[in-house]
Amino acid sequence: MVIADRLSARLIGAVTRPGRLGALGGPALWALFFLILLVPIGLFLLVAVSPAIVGQGHAWLTFANFATALQGQTLQGLVDSLVVSTTTAVISVAIALGLAWLVQRTTIPGRGLWTLLVWVVLLTPSFLISLGWERLLEPDGILVHLGVPTTGIANVFFGPVGVVFVLTTKGVPFAYFAISAALGALGREFEDAARTHGAGRWAALRMVLPILAPAFWSALAIVFAETISDFGVATTIAATANFPIATQTLFNAVDNFPANFPVAAAVGWLLVGSVGLALVAQSRALRGRSYQVLSGRTRPSVRVRLGGRSRVLALAAMGVFFGLSLGVPFAGALSASLVKPTASTITWHSLTLANYATVLHHPTVLGPLGLSAALACVAATVAVVVGVIVARTLTRRRAGPSARVLDLLLLATVGLPGIVLGAGYIFAYNLPWLNDIGIHLYGTLILLDMAYLANTVPSTTRLLVGPMAQVQFGLHDAARVHGSGGLRAWRTTVVPLLSRSLLWAWLFGFTGILFELPISQLLYPPGQETLAVAINAAFANYSYAPGTTLMVVSVGFAVIVVGVVLLVFRIGAPRGWQRVGSAR
Amino acid sequence: MRQAIRTHRTLFGVAGTLTAAAIAVSALATVSHSGGTDRAILTSRAHAAKVPLIVYSAQGYDMNVVKAFQHATGIPTELVCDSTGPLLARISAQRNNPQWGLLWVDGNQPFAALDRQGLMLRGFEPSVRWNATADKVIPTDKSFVPTGITIAATLIYNRKKVADPPTDFRQLLLPKYRGLLGMNNPSISGPTYPYVSGLMAYLGSVTQGERFLLRLKANGLHIFPTNGNTLHALQIGQIGMATIQSSAIIGAIEQNPGWGISFFKGVTLLPGNIGIDPKAPAAEVAEAKRFAEYVLSPAGQHQMLIGDPHGDSNFWPVLQGESPRPGMPPLSSVPYQVTNPYLWGPRESTINSWFTTHIVQ
Repeated sequence: MVIADRLSARLIGAVTRPGRLGALGGPALWALFFLILLVPIGLFLLVAVSPAIVGQGHAWLTFANFATALQGQTLQGLVDSLVVSTTTAVISVAIALGLAWLVQRTTIPGRGLWTLLVWVVLLTPSFLISLGWERLLEPDGILVHLGVPTTGIANVFFGPVGVVFVLTTKGVPFAYFAISAALGALGREFEDAARTHGAGRWAALRMVLPILAPAFWSALAIVFAETISDFGVATTIAATANFPIATQTLFNAVDNFPANFPVAAAVGWLLVGSVGLALVAQSRALRGRSYQVLSGRTRPSVRVRLGGRSRVLALAAMGVFFGLSLGVPFAGALSASLVKPTASTITWHSLTLANYATVLHHPTVLGPLGLSAALACVAATVAVVVGVIVARTLTRRRAGPSARVLDLLLLATVGLPGIVLGAGYIFAYNLPWLNDIGIHLYGTLILLDMAYLANTVPSTTRLLVGPMAQVQFGLHDAARVHGSGGLRAWRTTVVPLLSRSLLWAWLFGFTGILFELPISQLLYPPGQETLAVAINAAFANYSYAPGTTLMVVSVGFAVIVVGVVLLVFRIGAPRGWQRVGSAR
Repeated sequence: MRQAIRTHRTLFGVAGTLTAAAIAVSALATVSHSGGTDRAILTSRAHAAKVPLIVYSAQGYDMNVVKAFQHATGIPTELVCDSTGPLLARISAQRNNPQWGLLWVDGNQPFAALDRQGLMLRGFEPSVRWNATADKVIPTDKSFVPTGITIAATLIYNRKKVADPPTDFRQLLLPKYRGLLGMNNPSISGPTYPYVSGLMAYLGSVTQGERFLLRLKANGLHIFPTNGNTLHALQIGQIGMATIQSSAIIGAIEQNPGWGISFFKGVTLLPGNIGIDPKAPAAEVAEAKRFAEYVLSPAGQHQMLIGDPHGDSNFWPVLQGESPRPGMPPLSSVPYQVTNPYLWGPRESTINSWFTTHIVQ
């Protein structure tokens, strides 16, 4: 330990001296973003106006692709995406506010469990939730066989309503983490002041809620961006219902033959523009007002004590939300995986474990799972390291213009579907001159993992911004004043406060990468099939039961990883680390 | 304050540098873990004496064939196995610097389009004994090689729901079949555009085909993304019959004895083809030619027949003396047509766009 501290002190000493690495720290970070985000995304978007630059047409400057993107199905897809994303963001924030209030400000039982379940929803891929609902509600589906008619609800669900529903369940965790941090930290003096002046409970609430405006807007922006770039629902419920949304039309432009990258890039611009509009709305709503409510004298909030009836109602609300977002889809997917491949209808006699035996004994199936897990492990680890640094930058009291640019870049990246990164990485890293100078990145796992990293960092950073904003760096500064090295000060003061968030951010990155499809399809190296590609191939080849089984096995694997990581944290981490940030 | 700022810079310096280092180290570790890819990194396609053959394939039996080919020849072969769409997207994105050696997918239209762009090696024809069907689909410039024959789309039906199945495309318009028919979206499913364009050719023109499809829509046509979705809809009773690729139908019927197949007059031939990248290193081109020859050898044909019994293995051979899987009807009993890929290929975007606007929505 002493040696490590001395080593870190030396390292810190070396990099803090003027003219050495310290001056390169910021640029190193920007260089990283330049390589993994700006170059590939920029090159992809450039194709919209200059297709000739990467051999995707003859025009060096044209705006015709925007005209094409703004007509027919692509225009319809954009309009649908804007409506779906806005609706989803508003509903998600409303639900998340309710959840956060119950967990942070009331005495509802099982607060730790509810927080845990919010994380589980966050980690569950949207296509799994969609697929579970499909298996449940479709004609001759699980519910029909249980004697529950589904025609009416299925007609409504398999369309915009179902798309918004599933995306909302995925949006709630993002909104929850943005709001709960602010709600938990808000002292009770504002409520007390309102109540003292005669305000009723609702009037007090109406006064307190606007104070949380920054958190609401932040939640709206991230849910909007996450929703508009979602691919899992686009390829399941939306595709089956022939409800065009932008990520699907962008994918179709690339997936069709001949691939139309310029139009796909134009759609990409419009998606970035949509996220830009959301950010402008956020900025205008908050402009000229101060929302600084946290101070050293902030009085701790007091939980509302829930009586018998309200407690039952609150628990029922929690049960309904998590039942619909987790229980139902998991039950649907699990039951579909237990159906015999030869069964034309689903009956109790047609249930079997044969699909699991097939999946577990097939080496070409388990290979992709191992590979994806290794890649996810690496990329998620790096993403968390980068996420911590960026989150610290964004939450600094005197964040400069470069931090704001970084914030914009990251949120815009969240709004772009993964296929943009996939194609952008081919354009950027398969240039002939790179081969000429001996760099052969395309067709390697290095490039695939770089793209995974680029796809993960923005969301991971967003998850860490809230917890980072709550960290008081006075303790860290005190450690430094008392002679502690930079790394040691971080390790002993900041990391313990953030440990739980870091853990979940890693798990979020890990599971997201484990099931990533569009990037993998374009970048996976020959002979190195990833998990999502294998699952997709099973479904495309009408191996529905094995496909669903492989997915259930993979999700089971992910759950085991989550469990093991949490267990290791519980056993290995100091007790103080575990208390910080846990639900009280 | 200065101390705090310095700490912050310190943090950036260390973390930024460490992150960059971590990416490099961990990625290299990942590569060495993965085994196969290190060849791709360490071996320059242009400079190595013996290069790996990179096969892009959407065939269900490709893994079997690749393994057998490697075993038989010792040529290192690496497979990118995916749907036709993502494979062609890769090839399009790599146009400035192709990284594939051989393409093996169903349909001759993509090959014709790639040929027009100069992305197919011309003048290669394995010395094999083609059968009469193969002669109809081999291009005159020998820019791609057929390996097996399927039908772009014909009828599969659930006997319980459709006791009296239609025998001709036009009968699909009958009121008794209202709401029973499903098909794939040609914008998403690879083999469906050849079906749609073939239907138009059979009916006489694009306009005639569009009118027919609009009438099908009026008769309750369901559109699904891919074969898997359409067959699943048939399984759960959402539809009673569907028009999809013959190999998928035959495979599905083996698993669902209650389903039947009907070959309409005018169904379109869909050959599986191999095309070779003309810009690949000479050694890889030579290996690709050997791969095509192996596929068309008795050993290769055997692997194709056993590799995907519930799907792509249900093809008709293109060689004299070779037979399809037991139970397959003779191709001579199928009233098929052959369309010109150089005529219909360039129309794909326009027709798919029309289909999306007028039929899907």
